[in-house]
Amino acid sequence: MSRIIDRGLEEQSVLLTKMGELTYETLALSIRGYLSSRSVEQEVREMSDTLVAMADKVEDQAFQLIVRFQPVASDLRTIKSYMKIGYDFARYGRYSLDISYINDQLEGLKECDAWIREYINEMSTKVLYMVKTSIDSLRRLDITLAKSILQPEREVDQMYLDFLNRLIRQEQASSKCIISSSLMARYLERIADHATYVCESIVYIVTGEKIVLR
Amino acid sequence: MIDKSFGDPNLKMQSINLSAWFGSKQVLKDINLNVKANAVTAIIGPSGCGKSTFIRCLNRMHELVPTAKMSGEVLLDNENIYDKAVDPVMVRRRVGMVFQKPNPFPTMSIYDNVAAGLKLIGAKKGKNLDEIVKRSLEHATLWEEVKDDLKKPGTSISGGQQQRLCIARAIALQPEVILMDEPCSALDPIATAKIERLVVELKRDYTVVIVTHNMQQASRVSDYTAFLYLGSLVEFGATRDIFENPKNPLTEKYITGEFG
Repeated sequence: MSRIIDRGLEEQSVLLTKMGELTYETLALSIRGYLSSRSVEQEVREMSDTLVAMADKVEDQAFQLIVRFQPVASDLRTIKSYMKIGYDFARYGRYSLDISYINDQLEGLKECDAWIREYINEMSTKVLYMVKTSIDSLRRLDITLAKSILQPEREVDQMYLDFLNRLIRQEQASSKCIISSSLMARYLERIADHATYVCESIVYIVTGEKIVLR
Repeated sequence: MIDKSFGDPNLKMQSINLSAWFGSKQVLKDINLNVKANAVTAIIGPSGCGKSTFIRCLNRMHELVPTAKMSGEVLLDNENIYDKAVDPVMVRRRVGMVFQKPNPFPTMSIYDNVAAGLKLIGAKKGKNLDEIVKRSLEHATLWEEVKDDLKKPGTSISGGQQQRLCIARAIALQPEVILMDEPCSALDPIATAKIERLVVELKRDYTVVIVTHNMQQASRVSDYTAFLYLGSLVEFGATRDIFENPKNPLTEKYITGEFG
């Protein structure tokens, strides 16, 4: 017989799964818009606002479960982690909005050399893969998949630093391109961090182990 | 078998391979548990798991039941309280007990309830006894509520106050360890909250072992928690670890309400 708290936990799980799907769509849309210099800010803003509202709902549900059931052990770890993951997903949305904003203000990478466009494109692909990994790990509570994020996380961090070093040495780049591409690289690196936090939370839910995958 | 850890000042009591029976029925099986000094240790577990029997073994009350027997050792400051040379009355003085239902002596006043144990061991009426009664009631956070009614019957006050009176009665004998067997199970939430605050206060001066059915209570008041199941110690550790990240799946199932 399932416990009463299980219904609440299931509701939270369903809500987070929906958030995960919307998160990926939002991020993919903003990156596509950015790479093609096409304005998608309005759509992304609406999606991001929805994600923030969903994160608030996850938090409200968590508080209700805490007040009503005084959860412990894996229940407590799950609720605590769901709140964190809800926040991480909302951050994905906000970074998506930031990407859309700099796209509109600075015309994406329009004024950049080909190598910059290729570099950002490659970094975006890697970060989207990390975001998908975090969402799939959550859906399946798969700690092996969650732990696999360590490698791409390190690669993205290194790509970010390498990009800045290369950009510093770049001659004849427009200020629009420098600001746009460096901000974009920074946002991507931060999104990758949040994907990693999500994966750390999944390991914590399943094992109780607090690990750092960075 | 656990180390006896002689000389460890942080250890107040230890049970070593402690087993207990009622007639032929074994109710405790090889319990090895350390009770830290000036800390609250909670004993949790489903009904019939041996919680109450365990703490009754800690002050030799178990042997008062005609069919009861035990084996193993219980150390109090590294001395086996079951040693032939040890006087069980002295053990019970050093290790006091508060029971599930408040049980003040019904024919005695509030004052006499607290003083009764002291009188039994020869204390005379007078200023010194008055001081001990006052101090005990203060320790039990009851003094302010009853100081003008000390001559009233112990049963004339509320259930929560009666339970604190029983705690004052235990404290009056200046025990080193206080055992509490579900001390809040007969109390309302407000009286329960007062007892819980008191338990946390008491650990400054005493070592407390509390049996409780209420897991939230264990997590609120205790520093260490032991989970007993079918007479065996399943898991023991810091309360925070037990309630956040239990190591044994049985503990997890019990505290999350999957069985019990």
